[in-house]
Amino acid sequence: MRRIAVVALAAVLASGACSTPGASGEVRVLVAGDPEELAAFRAIVDAYRAAGGGPVRLEEVAERDDLVARLSTSIAAGDPPDAFLLNYRYYGQFEAAGALQPLQSMLDTSDVLDAGSFVPAAMNAFRDDGVQTCIPLNASSLVLYYNADLFAAAGLAPPRDDWTWDEMVAAARALTRDVDGDETVDVWGLGVEPQIIRLAPFVWSSGGSIMDEGAPSRIDLGSVRAALATQAFLDLRGLHEVVPTEEDAESIDLETRFLGGGLAMLMESRKVVPTFRTIEDFGWDVAALPRFGRRPVSILHSDAFCMTARAAEPDAAWTFLEFALGPEGQAIAAQAGRTVPSLRSVAASQDFLTPGGSPSNSRVFLAQLDGVRSVPNVASWPQIEDAVNALLEEAFYDPSAGPEAPELIAAIQRATAPLFAQEEA
Amino acid sequence: MWPRERRGLWLMAAPFLAGTVLLVLGPALWSLAMAFTDWNLVRPPSFVGADNFRELAGDPDFRIALRNTLGFIAAAVPVRLIVTLVVGLILARPGRGDRAATVAVVAPAAVPEAAMALAWLWLLNPLYGPINLVLGGLGLPTPAWLTEPTTARWAIVLMATFAVGEGVVLVRAARAQLPRGVYEMAAEQGAGPASSFVRVTLPLLAPILVLLAVRDTAMSMHSTFVPALLVTQGGPPPSATTYLPLFVYREGFEYLRYGYASAASVCLLAVSASIVWLEYRLVRRWGARALQPMG
Repeated sequence: MRRIAVVALAAVLASGACSTPGASGEVRVLVAGDPEELAAFRAIVDAYRAAGGGPVRLEEVAERDDLVARLSTSIAAGDPPDAFLLNYRYYGQFEAAGALQPLQSMLDTSDVLDAGSFVPAAMNAFRDDGVQTCIPLNASSLVLYYNADLFAAAGLAPPRDDWTWDEMVAAARALTRDVDGDETVDVWGLGVEPQIIRLAPFVWSSGGSIMDEGAPSRIDLGSVRAALATQAFLDLRGLHEVVPTEEDAESIDLETRFLGGGLAMLMESRKVVPTFRTIEDFGWDVAALPRFGRRPVSILHSDAFCMTARAAEPDAAWTFLEFALGPEGQAIAAQAGRTVPSLRSVAASQDFLTPGGSPSNSRVFLAQLDGVRSVPNVASWPQIEDAVNALLEEAFYDPSAGPEAPELIAAIQRATAPLFAQEEA
Repeated sequence: MWPRERRGLWLMAAPFLAGTVLLVLGPALWSLAMAFTDWNLVRPPSFVGADNFRELAGDPDFRIALRNTLGFIAAAVPVRLIVTLVVGLILARPGRGDRAATVAVVAPAAVPEAAMALAWLWLLNPLYGPINLVLGGLGLPTPAWLTEPTTARWAIVLMATFAVGEGVVLVRAARAQLPRGVYEMAAEQGAGPASSFVRVTLPLLAPILVLLAVRDTAMSMHSTFVPALLVTQGGPPPSATTYLPLFVYREGFEYLRYGYASAASVCLLAVSASIVWLEYRLVRRWGARALQPMG
């Protein structure tokens, strides 16, 4: 009996030893992404190793939610990765919790990275009290993808970079068609998800805001301009009926619908490009978001590499981050097509602009960065965003039962007020 | 000294008991302790007394999740129990193809939950899913399933109802063990098939039904998690299929409010235990009354 117990104990200890995190000097990096993005990270690690870098172990998860769960539990267990990739909209909660090791001092003394060579808007999104906490790997924004063949067939000129909201709606109405006469729409004019990060650019473009100024303490869509933009956004489905119904959106997601030629325009970030590059049946390109007010504004989509406060190998991790965030690493990521480099030199290079490739108007991603804005750095932002999106989705898809803009704005304020109170506590 | 047989039984039970202590009781006690703290999984937890429970009491999202969970139990447990009983008794009767039918019933329980959820996502597609294509073909209404609150809730119940294979095997085995003599005696006293079912089969299967009801209730508390996360994502708005497990997951692992999520877990456990206790009392009383001699 005792012998069996000893053997069992030895087996448990052996298995524990096998799963011991990282041999000495090995950097553990937690990343999330779709297959193309994960392949790019693997390529970066391979290039780093080929350049004489130390061992790096990528810990991969598919979704952002999984990354947050894995990161928080690994920190709680005292076994965090050395570095991880995080979207700026979810950065605030880790920053407020003290989970991050600021990278400002390392950046200041780096021979490889120069803060001035990065896209300022992306750097600002990961800065707290003037201290650079994380360093962005990409700096994408919301753009308008369009099916060039559908525009040509309808006799419409492709979207211009100075398009207005009304011009976009008019085009979407002309492009929404029942092709086979079965009284159901086969081609929708526009695809946009009812989310605060899709609505926000038009509120900003109108001159309104989504939160109060200074230290954000409430969702503030109450100004006339913000309310007008919100109502116009709801009208895309309720009044103009140019975006897929809830049933249609549930049946085929917007990206797949665009791929199949059933969507003329789609508001998305750079992430759909690798998939869209597989399109052979029609031509497509990107344009800037239309302006709702005097000038166009887009919203930042950016992920950064952060280092955990209790990283076991901070020096080795920083050496890897210098490579991944430097010209070589960002060029590899750019070639995958999914992201817009945060280093301006790489973003302006052929690695990103891919002359002769799709989309031919990739420069629009760079042009939009001048006026791009970001959601505020609030620790409870993930909760706030979920709460707002639920209300927005209800109002967007069910205009008969759902509220109009003023009631929606009031409901959003009621639902999010406790979350800001929680933030203050 | 224990008798050799008893020692053997304890030895066999030891791995299960160790697993229960390490993987169930230990974490449950840990969660209970964390329910009285403010903990974001990063900084050390700080004691906040009953603040989390007070906040839960006023949290509309928690109330919705609790109501959804109780609604799911009220709908899914009886439906699953009836389907399990009926299918189990049908399969207990020897006949051609009963083994193949048993395999077909048990198979869904062997499929990983995530794979099953994705299959349901396709089955319930409102425009292109096979279920609506069949309903439409028969001239019946085609529900929007996952985009309407009521149909989305019933879709989750439907998904749960297809995973009854384990219970069916139990009922089938239990029915096979019932002594034939009892049915002969009932027939001699003039009991027909319906009376035999009510007066003999159901009471004798009562222990198994209690077991299934208790297990189903406990399971219902967490079995909504995967379909709600992968199929409906807690929607459609406003939170139509946000059940307590999804609420706990989001609060704990997405919003980093682990102490608050622990308090919700404790409530989940309390609700679960209360319902199980109630079921146990009800079925015991019903079983005792049904076993009284026929008069």
